[in-house]
Amino acid sequence: MKKRFKTWLLISLVVILGISMFGCSQPAETPAAEEPSSEPAAPAESSEPIRIGFFAPVTGAAASDGKSATQSAELAVKLINDGGGINGRPVELVKYDDGLDTKQAVNIAQKLTTKDNVVAVVSGSYSGPTRVAAPIFQEAGMPMLSAYAIHPDVTGSGDFVFSQSFSGAVQGRAGGVVAVDMLGAKRISILAVDIDFGKTLSEAFTAYVEANGAEIVSVDTFGMPESEFSPVLTKIKETVKPDLLYIACYPSHGTEIARQSKRLGLDVQILGTEGIDSYQFLEVAKEDAEGVIITTNMNRDSESDAVKDYIAGYKAAYNMLPDMVGASTYDAFETLFKVIAEVGTEPVAMRDAIKELKDFETVTGKLIEYAPSRVAVKPVQIQIVKDGEFHYYNEITDDAIIRD
Amino acid sequence: MARLQQIDHIFRKDVISLLLQQIINGFMIGCVYALTAMGGTLIYGILRILDIANAAAYVVGAYLGWVIYATTGNLAVAFFLSMALTGAIGVLIQKFIYMPILNKPNIIPIVPLITSVGIFIFTGDFIRLLVGPEIKDFGVVLPFSVINLGKIVINPEWILIIIMTVILLSLLWFVLNKTKLGLAWRATAGDSEIAETMGVNIQKVMALSYVMGYGFASAAGMMIGVLYSSIYPTMGDIPSYKMLAIIVLGGLGNPIGTIAAGLVIGLSETLISAYVGSVIPRDAIAFLVLITILLVKPTGLISRKNSI
Repeated sequence: MKKRFKTWLLISLVVILGISMFGCSQPAETPAAEEPSSEPAAPAESSEPIRIGFFAPVTGAAASDGKSATQSAELAVKLINDGGGINGRPVELVKYDDGLDTKQAVNIAQKLTTKDNVVAVVSGSYSGPTRVAAPIFQEAGMPMLSAYAIHPDVTGSGDFVFSQSFSGAVQGRAGGVVAVDMLGAKRISILAVDIDFGKTLSEAFTAYVEANGAEIVSVDTFGMPESEFSPVLTKIKETVKPDLLYIACYPSHGTEIARQSKRLGLDVQILGTEGIDSYQFLEVAKEDAEGVIITTNMNRDSESDAVKDYIAGYKAAYNMLPDMVGASTYDAFETLFKVIAEVGTEPVAMRDAIKELKDFETVTGKLIEYAPSRVAVKPVQIQIVKDGEFHYYNEITDDAIIRD
Repeated sequence: MARLQQIDHIFRKDVISLLLQQIINGFMIGCVYALTAMGGTLIYGILRILDIANAAAYVVGAYLGWVIYATTGNLAVAFFLSMALTGAIGVLIQKFIYMPILNKPNIIPIVPLITSVGIFIFTGDFIRLLVGPEIKDFGVVLPFSVINLGKIVINPEWILIIIMTVILLSLLWFVLNKTKLGLAWRATAGDSEIAETMGVNIQKVMALSYVMGYGFASAAGMMIGVLYSSIYPTMGDIPSYKMLAIIVLGGLGNPIGTIAAGLVIGLSETLISAYVGSVIPRDAIAFLVLITILLVKPTGLISRKNSI
């Protein structure tokens, strides 16, 4: 009897192990037909679905960005399919949740490059997960577009990896231009979240500022879950006394910084980044957000139909406003759709077509081209919060700034 | 008039003002920590299990308070009702999840611990699925605004939190020291077997732990929601493990120790953030304080003699 129990225990352990290895992070749609060979160039008359992989942090600390990215991805796919697909072929989204976990991201990348039968991938996630997944796509020769992960290691993984958003270096520099050239600040304090995003922006910002006659008088970093900014803001108000506060952080931090600054009577201009480009920031900070300026890629006042349609379409579908994360994700899909329509789904052809793309109007502005580093070159939008909404303040098109 | 000028003169000393400001801030945070961890202490005192699901009560309390406040517009009602509901949920969890597990023979302590972690993870994600992952604005309008004492700025929420904490902890003191049920709790925390043989109703004592414990955690969650005017499903993540540091530091099962530990950690975090800066992650400070104090006093801040 004991032996039989041991056997059953062993079998159940194997089953559990098997389920946990393959059962976790199931793709939303299972493959319809397993094709053992790699994807051939799609003939125009075929109606085989075009499968595109996608991952975003749907659960975990970045869940709201994951939701924003996923919703935009789904909207993009729905709209292209409503219009008849690409050359008659419907698009199928193979989406995953990486939980903002690098191990999960690796898992997902391995699945997408082996059994999921996708022709390309969009990353709707942060730099952490994206830059561990990128080398896997590179090795598999599968084009991957990163929607908004801006760490240089992402595109540094190789020539199949592209970034839709300008790099942290570009955005940090642009922030410097706003701070020093547009706003005339001389003494600047930095508050940055201590992950890739905050570090990359903070470094580039500092470099520009210090090279252009202004001074960084304090730098304070904080962890992702931080919400108590009174101590550091009090210190800044009493002992540092800057004339501008540069915040490289996310909405949960930005709201509290904006609110607490006002409460403490710290009356300085706040300059943020695309990190706080979100309705969450506006909703919670309310009047305290007025006058906050950010560097981002989404111009709410754009005259472009593409932008207006996207904002309206997103609002109609989800009853909420889109943000930078969603817009960047949508942008990535737009790029992929265009490229696939022109050259089909052969990986090398797609890669080359993306590389050669020029002056493509997207919901995040004009994609001028991809730099040799495969990072998109586009104007940096400067938006200001006025009457509770983001509005056009300025834009930076200067090559010296927007090209790495 | 002269009196006010006198007071103003004292506060005008910048360094002292700054220090006082940070101390008040830290004290306020410490109050929230104490309330958050109190549930874990009360439950550990009786059941000798570390209940991570206490942090789930924290999140649930914040969301329930948000909903109730949105419908009634009354903050007091929101607090009271949210605490009552969360406490009731606690009793249900205790009765239908923990008791069946703990009643099994030869249970290893890790099983209820993992159960509590499971409840916590489930709750957070359930809320995300139900309400959405975005930060929701709490939207409270407090009847009084920022108080300026010379250079010291006191947020109205800080006052609310400190007053409420005093009220709740006084209530706890009263229950534990002046009521029969409280006596029963202390007896059970001291030695549950003997208490039972003396006729103490263990069920009621456990229910008390959960009602008060989860009630306090839910009040703490709501206070944080009001303080930062935002709630989100993962807001319990940091409290879930920080409260362990506080419970251990407080001497494991000692309510007064928990209060002291909460305040010590709240003050340490604030003062270190303000004066040392971001050398170490803020959330690591709780554990560094814990390690430091345990090295000196292994039984925690106040040894577990259940001195209340």
